[in-house]
Amino acid sequence: MATQGIEQPHVQRPRGKTSSSGRKPADAGPLTAYLFMAPYLAIFIIFIAIPVVFGIWVSLHNWDPMLPVKPWVGLQNYVDLFTPGSTTFGPFWKSMGATGKFTLYSVPLLVLIPLLIALVLNQEFRGRNFFRATFFAPYVLGVAVVGILWRFLLDPNVGLVNYYLGALGLPDNIPWITALPWAWISLVGVTVWWTLGFNTVIYLAGLQDIDPALYDAAKVDGANRWQRFVNVTLPGLRPVLLFVITVTILASANMFGQSYLITQGAPGEETTTAIWYIAETGLRFFKMGSAAAMSYVLALALALVSLANFALFRYRGD
Amino acid sequence: MTQQTVRTEPKDAGRDAGRLVRLIPSYAGLILLTLVFVSPLLWMLSTSLKPNYMTTRFPPQWIPKDFSNVGYSTILTTSSANPVLQWFLNSVIAASAHTLLVLVTASMAAYALARMHFRGKNIMFVVIVLTLVIPQFVFLIGNYLIVQFFGWLDTLLAVIVPGAAGAFGVFFLRQFFLSLPLELEEAALIDGANRFQIFLRVILPLSKAPLATLAVLSFLTNWNDFLWPVYVLLSPKSLTLQPGLAILQGAYNTNYTPIMAGGVLASIPVLLIYIFAQRYIIEGVSRSGLKG
Amino acid sequence: MGRRVTRQEFLLMSAGAGAGVVLAGCGGSTTDLEKAGSGGKSYNGPKVSLSFWNGFTAADGDYMRRLVEEFSSQEKNIDVSMNTVDWEVYYQKVPATVQSGKGPDLGIMHITQLPTNAARGVILAMDDVANELNLKKSDFAPVVWDAGVYNGKRYGIPLDVHPLGLFYNKGTMEKAGLDPNSPPQTKDDYMAALEQLKSKGIQGHWMSPFLFTGGLTFQSLIYQFGGELYNENVTKATFNSEAGVNALTWMVDVVKEGYSPKDVAQDAEYTAFQNGKNAFMWNGIWNILELDTVKGLDYGVAQLPQIGSQKGAWADSHNFVIMNKRGQDPNKVAASKVFINWISKRSVEWAKAGQVPARDEVRESQEFKSLKWQPVIAKELPYVQFPPPVPGIGDVYTGSLEPAINEAVLLKKEPEAALDEAANTADQLLKENKQKYQAA
Repeated sequence: MATQGIEQPHVQRPRGKTSSSGRKPADAGPLTAYLFMAPYLAIFIIFIAIPVVFGIWVSLHNWDPMLPVKPWVGLQNYVDLFTPGSTTFGPFWKSMGATGKFTLYSVPLLVLIPLLIALVLNQEFRGRNFFRATFFAPYVLGVAVVGILWRFLLDPNVGLVNYYLGALGLPDNIPWITALPWAWISLVGVTVWWTLGFNTVIYLAGLQDIDPALYDAAKVDGANRWQRFVNVTLPGLRPVLLFVITVTILASANMFGQSYLITQGAPGEETTTAIWYIAETGLRFFKMGSAAAMSYVLALALALVSLANFALFRYRGD
Repeated sequence: MTQQTVRTEPKDAGRDAGRLVRLIPSYAGLILLTLVFVSPLLWMLSTSLKPNYMTTRFPPQWIPKDFSNVGYSTILTTSSANPVLQWFLNSVIAASAHTLLVLVTASMAAYALARMHFRGKNIMFVVIVLTLVIPQFVFLIGNYLIVQFFGWLDTLLAVIVPGAAGAFGVFFLRQFFLSLPLELEEAALIDGANRFQIFLRVILPLSKAPLATLAVLSFLTNWNDFLWPVYVLLSPKSLTLQPGLAILQGAYNTNYTPIMAGGVLASIPVLLIYIFAQRYIIEGVSRSGLKG
Repeated sequence: MGRRVTRQEFLLMSAGAGAGVVLAGCGGSTTDLEKAGSGGKSYNGPKVSLSFWNGFTAADGDYMRRLVEEFSSQEKNIDVSMNTVDWEVYYQKVPATVQSGKGPDLGIMHITQLPTNAARGVILAMDDVANELNLKKSDFAPVVWDAGVYNGKRYGIPLDVHPLGLFYNKGTMEKAGLDPNSPPQTKDDYMAALEQLKSKGIQGHWMSPFLFTGGLTFQSLIYQFGGELYNENVTKATFNSEAGVNALTWMVDVVKEGYSPKDVAQDAEYTAFQNGKNAFMWNGIWNILELDTVKGLDYGVAQLPQIGSQKGAWADSHNFVIMNKRGQDPNKVAASKVFINWISKRSVEWAKAGQVPARDEVRESQEFKSLKWQPVIAKELPYVQFPPPVPGIGDVYTGSLEPAINEAVLLKKEPEAALDEAANTADQLLKENKQKYQAA
């Protein structure tokens, strides 16, 4: 077993007496184990396990935390979400539509562009780690910084984007923030700038994982660059691709900050995403029953999408 | 440390030179692309150092002709309606406390899951890992009610503790602990050390790299947290920097100098961390893509 | 071995017990606290600091801040710190912080929000405060005094009334050959003016499909056409009555006739007014603060033109409220009363922020009458209306009428159909609200 690079432990032990097989020496009982688990388990139970279950309970009521009575409504909150004309049907599905649109527009770009960058960076050249780090840099910024910065850059009157467009002879008064389709272009563009580094790094790791011998073999077979790409790179990247697509879809479906800060959900409610609508309904208007029901419906939708994604990849592989 | 053998191709000196010449335009292209890519950040810095009137002047000045600290003074004075300095402090406290909490709880749980035997271990592990695929918003309403129940609303505890329930740290460290050779611990056990001592004196010192990675990632995640603090931090003095930026944007509207100054303030710590710990971050991210 | 309970623990326990009452019921019994003080005229207790929240995040906040500072310097033992929280998030943050015991001591709320917050136990009943300050209906505009009562108890002391008014751009009117000092006040005059503007290529009245200002316009108009939003006991919506349909149809016709562009964006009518692209804007009196700073804009404010059979105008009102904090300190309550009384008497200073004082004596003062536009709008007070004081009434509007007006003005739906559908939804919401708030 490789032990290079690991510091020598303090415990002095003659090398000959290792016991990787055979029974372990007397160990502390399960009590120790539970003590080790306890702090994390406590937090986990209180802030993950209980909320999931409690949330379902809340969703079965008309739950306003400020009022003493939270009348039981059974599945009504869920039924309302699927009943046209109910108070939540319209705005909820509109916000789901916004989330859907954003996911549809952003995922292909977020899957392809980082792949291209990773392919370029995968070659041996000096300073490539520097470039990799630079493309990744925006990812470490919070969405708030990204949001206010791009709100400024995309300002139709004083923003740099319109200025440079004008300098290039293109129209310089594009309403990046207030009108469609520009609002979507803004949101997708900003998100790509912000997060492409993440997928790039993951692709790079995946690319480096591909056995170079496969490329050599392909070269020997006379394959050109494109054929090598299709027959060696892509198959080699398949698990990584699946991961990237799944994670990117989930991330896009969770979009909140960019809308909140750049377009303010406008025009109208066109760019108000589902997460935002859920948070507003539950935590601003205190209609928690409704909001909880909405979040489970959205979670279910996402689960189905992920499963479909997974199945698609499995199928295409064989 | 083993030496890495360098593969040399002696007859390629000439080829190398040729390659270099052909690479220069690609290099130039790449450098240009990178520069354009980070230019928004430079613009944010530049704007923050301008006097107010200059942000709406064209042509845009990347390097301000007149420097001014009005952006920073507006947001940093204690009499300002928005206590940005307090927000900064709150973010530092929250992110640090959160990171500490994660390191302590996740490392202990990860070690138990990696090395100890106890009833329910497998079920616990499966459940914990399953939560990795559940999106955050599912916990939103429930967490709000629980936080309210504890009286943590509008306090930093609300942004420090709930996030530490995430499964990533446990998962990540468990992977690492599993990769450590059993001999070290068994040797210590034979010597009569108890599990806790082994954990402290054998395991943790060997885990500096993944612990550092987890620490950096946790700090960043908490520092950048936006949606949750927006709804649970209420009074002006309790905010952290990220939701504070949203308030600044609302307060100053199209007066971008103080807003950009706020953005710079919120970025400096993470960028500094990034510059120094970039290796850890990128490695952590890379590994997550290669799980399994 | 027993341990003596420390004073701190005792206070916390009683606060906790009080909290239990508060959270289990509504309002709770706090008459002892409310009786604290000496009639609100002066404060004789120990030094206290009050936390005062409001949503005046714009220039109006400066006026209030000045008043607060003046008060603090006069009353040596009361230190008031003012915090502004954007109105958009105010009604989330205040209840949440008050419930967690950390919120402000007193604040400003819109009169339309009082019932909801009263039902939630966020604010205290203020009958005793009013009595002690010797405030009665005859001191105030009657409609605003009455609207502050929910479930037989008073929950707010009105500070101001801010109605919708007719803003007219004198420069644009002149360009079209209209008399800039004679804004149209009757339906015929108004339509004639719009027609004249149209003939000169100016779209005179940009109709907004949003709450600000389209929704406010509709609410004013339905009153003008003799209608009401809801029925007497607020169980059914009546905004789809003939009056409502007439009101919304008029708005839609303004768009169809070309007096307004289609698809007016949020606040576009405001920007257009500033830039002289339209002549008339129905907006709140508070806008004069910002409009006064726009260079080159010569504007005036008049009462709303009477489009219907009677006069009518939408209005809201800022009210002082005292928060129902756990373990309320009786000294703080006493200090709050002094503060409220003081500001109320000085509300002419607040009027300068673009408001109409609620207190009669202030409105009748010379100082107020010498202000430029506020006295003009003050003439609307006899006929402004508020929505009924029922909890959750704002949500009913947002969930039903608001999208209906939006779709009608955007020409996506016919007014009558839109209003009928909205009335259906509203009835549902009203029922839900009754169920939800009834235990309170």
